[in-house]
Amino acid sequence: MIYRPSHRQLAVASGYAAAGALYVLIGVTYVDFLFSFFVALAYLLVVVWLVPAGVRRII
Amino acid sequence: MSWAAHDLEPYAIQAHHSRLKIAFVPLLLGSYAPDLMTKWYVYGIHLGPWDLKADNAAQFHRGWPGLGFTHSFLYGAVIGLIFWKGLGSKNWGISFMIGQWAHALTDAGDTVGTMLFFPWTYHVSFGAWAYAGQTGRLTDAAAYFSGLGGMWDLVWIVIGLYSWQVLTRSYFETHVFTADGFWPKVNRFVPMTALLVAYRAAFFYGTSRWIAWTVWAHVIHHFPYDLSWGGPHWVPAEHS
Repeated sequence: MIYRPSHRQLAVASGYAAAGALYVLIGVTYVDFLFSFFVALAYLLVVVWLVPAGVRRII
Repeated sequence: MSWAAHDLEPYAIQAHHSRLKIAFVPLLLGSYAPDLMTKWYVYGIHLGPWDLKADNAAQFHRGWPGLGFTHSFLYGAVIGLIFWKGLGSKNWGISFMIGQWAHALTDAGDTVGTMLFFPWTYHVSFGAWAYAGQTGRLTDAAAYFSGLGGMWDLVWIVIGLYSWQVLTRSYFETHVFTADGFWPKVNRFVPMTALLVAYRAAFFYGTSRWIAWTVWAHVIHHFPYDLSWGGPHWVPAEHS
């Protein structure tokens, strides 16, 4: 059986893709950014969780 | 050595949770473990006035004498046994071992290979891509993402995307969160949404940096692709 992602799941994936695009941009500019999993983890928590949560709270 | 495969393999393994009871955190820890003690010294670091770097990177990283035993089945089994008998979690022990074995097998793909059956010091090496850790991390990155190593990472990205359901919230809540007491304990202090982001982080990291290094090596610096066996041959590869 082939499962297709829902619109909600695609929207979430788009958010991660956008975060990934920014990560790549930063990474090719400052390659040290690419060397640590923990930097990526912190980046992802800030961009995908903390910032959206902060924006939702303000709005 | 491999770059993004160790970030991505755990998700492909996780997709087989119906056959294997897996705890994701030790699985990922096992996947990273062989390099945790070695990579910094392979590439070298500056520590105040000191430059610390292995004289023979491949020997230190994969050999004996050296820390090559970290890339053996025995190492995964011993640390797994410590998790099982020492910390009382069979699930953590087996999951760590699976992750570490995946790492050791993947690294056997390069020209140095791994001592899979340590203490037998024979190196299992498929020789598919060049081991170039001794050249420093930037040249190593350029070489890796110009040869079959980078393509091998791409295979894991594709497998991960094909198994996209392991990255969904419902999968995380149903299969990952419930399989391991670690997550509920952390959930006392950290909300579920943040845990979900953390769970997805290694896949994000592996995929994003694969793209970033590929862009860096081939769009910005124009290193030539060489997808021949054992390549790229423009870099001086170490052999076992």
